[in-house]
Order: sequence, then C-alpha cells, then structure tokens
Amino acid sequence: MTRDEIKNEILGIFKDQFEIENPGLDDDLREVHEFDSIDAIELLGEIEIILSSELTRAEKKGAMEIRTINHILDYVESLSLARAKG
Amino acid sequence: MKKPETHLLCRYFKPVSDVIVTLLLWSYFTVGFVILFSPSYLAAYLFSENREISFQRLNHKFYKGFFYLARLLVFGHKWIISDDVRSIRSSIIVCNHISYLDPIFFVALFEKQKTIVKSTFFRVPIFGRMLKLSGYIPSTSGTNLSDLMLRHIEAMDDYLASGGNFFVFPEGTRSRDGTIGLINKGAFKIARLCKASIKVLFIRNTNKLFKPGKLLFNTCVSNTITVELIAIMEPDYQKSTFSISELMSEVRSILEAQRSNLVP
Repeated sequence: MTRDEIKNEILGIFKDQFEIENPGLDDDLREVHEFDSIDAIELLGEIEIILSSELTRAEKKGAMEIRTINHILDYVESLSLARAKG
Repeated sequence: MKKPETHLLCRYFKPVSDVIVTLLLWSYFTVGFVILFSPSYLAAYLFSENREISFQRLNHKFYKGFFYLARLLVFGHKWIISDDVRSIRSSIIVCNHISYLDPIFFVALFEKQKTIVKSTFFRVPIFGRMLKLSGYIPSTSGTNLSDLMLRHIEAMDDYLASGGNFFVFPEGTRSRDGTIGLINKGAFKIARLCKASIKVLFIRNTNKLFKPGKLLFNTCVSNTITVELIAIMEPDYQKSTFSISELMSEVRSILEAQRSNLVP
C-alpha cells in the first residue's frame, strides 16, 4: 500500500468512526481532537482490517503513544513493510 | 425551603454524632480492612486462580460491609435500590455523579464490577496494586499503563459476557449542585467497541450523606438515597448514521430530564 492509500483509509476511519473531519496531519490528536487511548484501541482494530493481519501485543503497545496522523501513517507503513518482507 | 426534619434524639447531639459515626466508618476503612479483609486479599493474591474476580468479590464484600455499617450507624437515611438495578449483569452502566460515595456504592451493589479510575491512583503504593489486581481501568494510558489499559479493554467483551458490569460516571467529576455536567466519551466508546447496551442509572442524595467539601458524614437528617434504572439504550452501532456524540447527547438529556423531574 502506498502512503497516500493508507492516508485515505485512515482519514476515512477518522471521519466515520471518530467524527473527526480533515484533521491536520501534524495535529496533536489528543490535544486538538480529544482522541484518547480507547480510540487508539479502536483504531488498532481498523488497522488490522487494513493490513488483513492481526497485530502483536508489542505492536499494539507501540501504537498507544502515537500522537499525530503522520505518526499513524509511519506506524502503518512500517507494519505493512514488515509484513511484506514476511 | 423546608428544613430537613431532625430526629429527636439527634437534635442536640448532631455534631457529636457526625464525629463518632465518621470515626467509626473510617476505622472500618483502615483497621477493619487490615483485621477483617487483608488476610482474604492475601489468600486471593497467593492462591486464587482468577485474582481479578477474587479481588472484585472481596472489594464488593468490603464495601457492602461499609454500607451495612453506615445504615446501622447513620440515623435518618433511607436507602431505596430498585430490584432492576440490583439484578443488572453483563452491562455497561452510566450514572450521574454527586458524591465520593457513588463509586464505592456501586462496588457494594455489584459483585463483579469494573470501572475507570484516575490514573494517578494507580501509582499509589499498595492501593494502586490493588486497583490493578482488581482489573480496574486507568483513565489515561500514560507511562506504564498503556499495556494495562489495552489488556483490560480488549478483554471487556469476555468480561461482560461472563456477567460482569462496567460502570462509569461519564461526567468525570462530582456535580456540586446536582446539575448534569458535560459527559465524556470513554464509556460510550467502550460500549461501541463491545457492541454493548447501556444501562442509564440515576443516583440521588448520596451527597446529603457525605457532602462535597465536608470531612464528616452528615448524620441525623432525614434523607432518602435512591438508585433507579431510568433507561436502557440499545444503539445500532453498525448503522452508518450511528454517532457517539448523538448517543451521549441523548443520555445526557435523559439524565437531565430525570433531574428536572426531581427538582421541586
């Protein structure tokens, strides 16, 4: 998946699931949009669907400190790459 | 405004009664815990196959004992808890919040119970450890708590299916005047995550037994504490038009309407 494709998926999830429309890519999601740890857990479920693969506990734990959309894109991209390398 | 009726025996002894009752209840909390309950907690810690459930049961018994003692000692207060509240299982419960007594009262009401607790309490020695062992959820993930939060929220589905209740006071802090404050999304997000129904409860007058900002229990006043089930929400989480904000707004309106009905 390209970064743009991931971005479109993630922004769609933010709009539909979290009622957050057009967040800035570097907005602090917690500060600006009240995106909290429970949202993060819900997002992880959506990321598993995007990747068609379950995340490990360590991978999930790593996501809990994510703050911005760009961080999420980096995170998904790295997971996607890791899975592609197999 | 009509002054609350004072019991004859208490009329001249209220200040003394407040101090004595408070001391006795605090003694139960401290000495009573050490003597009556700490051996059971230790046994549960060492030998229980399911520490979380064992700790929740012990918490339930401990606080049930506390409120039993409070009913014995505090004159003038009546308690009315409807059967449909007592029989709630496998539910996400949201309720208005008016006193520090509310959360421990819910622990006393439900044998299997989880709730969200301020993250700072998890860092208090012994108490924080007990919160973790009881399976309570920190309010924010922060340092060292993200794994705990992740584990408990992921296991919430199974916990609810096993008959456990998850209660939350979505206003976050106590209301000083009974008005319904702004409500937080946390409980509703967890309900969506678990596709669970939401029971809306309304608690009344615990703030007259233990007033916000006071150190002493308020004895010798006529008061009726009630907990009622006022709504059961069964949102269609799959529906494309489902909105957490709308659900929250609906719950807040229900709580507000209930409060308005009670205000003379």
